[in-house]
Amino acid sequence: MPAPKIRPVDRLAQAVAKCPAESTAYGKCIVADFHNVHKDKCLSEFQVLQACIQKHMGKR
Amino acid sequence: MSPCTLPFRIRTHWGVAAQPIRQCRARLVSPHCSFRRHLAVAADAQNLGKNDSNRSNPAGHPQGGTGSFQIFDREVKKLQRDRAALKVEESRKVDYLRDEVANRLVERLYDINRNYDHVLDLGAGACHLARALHKPHPPSGPFADRIKHLTCVELSSNYLTRDEDSYIMPPTSSMRLTRMARDEETVLFNPPSKGGELESNTFDAVISSGSLQWINDLPSVLASINRVLKPDSPFLCAMFGGDTLYELRTSLQLVNMDRLGGVSPHVSPLADVRDMGGLLQRTGFKLITVDVDDIIVDYLDVFALLKDLQAMGEANAILGRRKGLAGISKETLMGLDGVYRELHGRPEDGGSGDGTGIPATFRIIYMIGWKEGTGQQQPLKRGSGDVNLKEVLGGEGQDFGKK
Repeated sequence: MPAPKIRPVDRLAQAVAKCPAESTAYGKCIVADFHNVHKDKCLSEFQVLQACIQKHMGKR
Repeated sequence: MSPCTLPFRIRTHWGVAAQPIRQCRARLVSPHCSFRRHLAVAADAQNLGKNDSNRSNPAGHPQGGTGSFQIFDREVKKLQRDRAALKVEESRKVDYLRDEVANRLVERLYDINRNYDHVLDLGAGACHLARALHKPHPPSGPFADRIKHLTCVELSSNYLTRDEDSYIMPPTSSMRLTRMARDEETVLFNPPSKGGELESNTFDAVISSGSLQWINDLPSVLASINRVLKPDSPFLCAMFGGDTLYELRTSLQLVNMDRLGGVSPHVSPLADVRDMGGLLQRTGFKLITVDVDDIIVDYLDVFALLKDLQAMGEANAILGRRKGLAGISKETLMGLDGVYRELHGRPEDGGSGDGTGIPATFRIIYMIGWKEGTGQQQPLKRGSGDVNLKEVLGGEGQDFGKK
């Protein structure tokens, strides 16, 4: 029996769940001043989060 | 019987106590009482890894009613529900919300001491209301005993026929169930003489649970409901409105501002409580009762919430939404969970979660309106009062305006 197909969004969800510290850091950065959010306000935090997610997305 | 003899239970706007609805996936916590005034939202669970760029332009779809304002794409809504209902097990797993809303609506039906020959369920989903009607209710027995014939109307035929009759009601039930896969926005609009299907003054009651939030032209649909009702018959409705999913809306806005530099309508504008009272009045209903319940469901993470919404067929169907793969962009999805948790995940931030899951608020507006009929309770004429309000309220009267 073939393994059930994993939806891409499920893999993304699993990867995000493995990066709680980075995710929280990004959330804190956005929420810290949420009346004044603009493009790339938290770019550095996001890049750290993205790198972490991509690292975990790679392992299938 | 005139409705004036029927006692309506009085409810506060924070509603009745919540009951646990599903043991593992969702936990209901007590409804919160804060009153926020955001325009409310419905979620964009759409495009989670799906491409819908092959869809036709919705502007060409036949639209119902007379209204010129089109907000929702009914054709896409139908596709979403058709698609969601194909995965029967998945779809049944997310019945918890609709079942809860339907059960609470049936509770209100018990407040009206009547029997019904023919009832219309508008926007029936997978006949959730029919199932709720068959729930045992000691000592009086299930409400379905009081209904002879229930007609279920639903936009998506897949969704409507998802469950066998045996799943919905026991074989001993005396209620007749008819399914009609029609667009609830247009089906009631015309009488048969003008090419429609349903005669005026046909139904002894119209009920609707968790569906009217996707109607483009609510006034014309409400007026049509009034048309098909027999005189002095009730219309009972539960719809998502007000602050529904405000947590998701605000988080999506913030992340989209940061990642994309702007916001996109992932969340639909929903009717507010006060709007609905006015609308019912405008469309000719009498003896209107409107009240609100908040159901707060805790989810493991934001992906669980989005997937459940998609499985319910409640994904984004706003005409102006971002289409294709970019529905919610991948970058937005990456950052969304962290922001949602920070903003709403903990009690000290005004959220109702305990820090492990995320809360999602569903605000349900319950409405009861009666079609005008003889023998109905009427308001007294202006100026006919013989008691001075000053005496009743106490004080000098002029203080009253200052408060």
